[in-house]
Amino acid sequence: MEMLLMGLCVAVFGMGVAVLAFGAATRSESSDSAVQPQLPLVKAVAPARFFSDSVAVPPPPPAVPSWPVPIEVLLLQIENHVRMEQAAAESFLAFPTHAQLHSKTTSPFVN
Amino acid sequence: MTHELLNGLTSGEVEQVLALGARLIVPSGTSLFRLGDPADRLFLTERGRIRLTLPMQVRGKEEDVFVEERSPGQAVGWSALIPPYRFTLTATASLLEAEVIALPREALLEYFAANPAAGRKIALNLAVVIGHRLQLFQTMWLREMQRTVEVRSV
Repeated sequence: MEMLLMGLCVAVFGMGVAVLAFGAATRSESSDSAVQPQLPLVKAVAPARFFSDSVAVPPPPPAVPSWPVPIEVLLLQIENHVRMEQAAAESFLAFPTHAQLHSKTTSPFVN
Repeated sequence: MTHELLNGLTSGEVEQVLALGARLIVPSGTSLFRLGDPADRLFLTERGRIRLTLPMQVRGKEEDVFVEERSPGQAVGWSALIPPYRFTLTATASLLEAEVIALPREALLEYFAANPAAGRKIALNLAVVIGHRLQLFQTMWLREMQRTVEVRSV
């Protein structure tokens, strides 16, 4: 009889421990789930920022630089600029004044 | 044809000077002389246009950049009379072929020695040509400097 009571007590104690352990386990899950509404935001933003940052990095420069203006056009622009500046200088030499000397050029090369 | 270098000379003197030279045809795009070449001849432009250029680094490559263009009647290559007798520009015939009279320095100096009055007139005309070039580029330089100063002041 004593053995039976002892076994019963141990069984009840074990069951109590199991119930407490189960309760603790389920309580921690439920508390995690209570925090989760904020976590997904953080987790969702972080990877997106990572990928967007990697996209924002400029691509490496090409081996051969691409110029906006062909060199022939550039040389022609320089020539036109020199011709316009010579004309302005000739005007100054023909009638030297401060205004003639510092007249603004209309050359598109420098404007 | 009136040549700027022969202004004030009598027609007889002009003929004598021109007789010292040789006519040259310069095909379009062909160089009459290049920067650094020995300058032993002075050229009087008879026909066509001569482009004067200087080398400039453009996009890491040397390019001939336009400096000035000489028309018929104008002289080219006065480095032939100025030590150290080296051309300081490159001269090339423009779109059309050009014709020039090439006057050797030695022949000119001998003529000046024998005809000092004519030589003096030519020397003064040369001073006018050089002086005009100097004033022109001095003005252009100042305008470029002014622009640089304005850009840096902003």
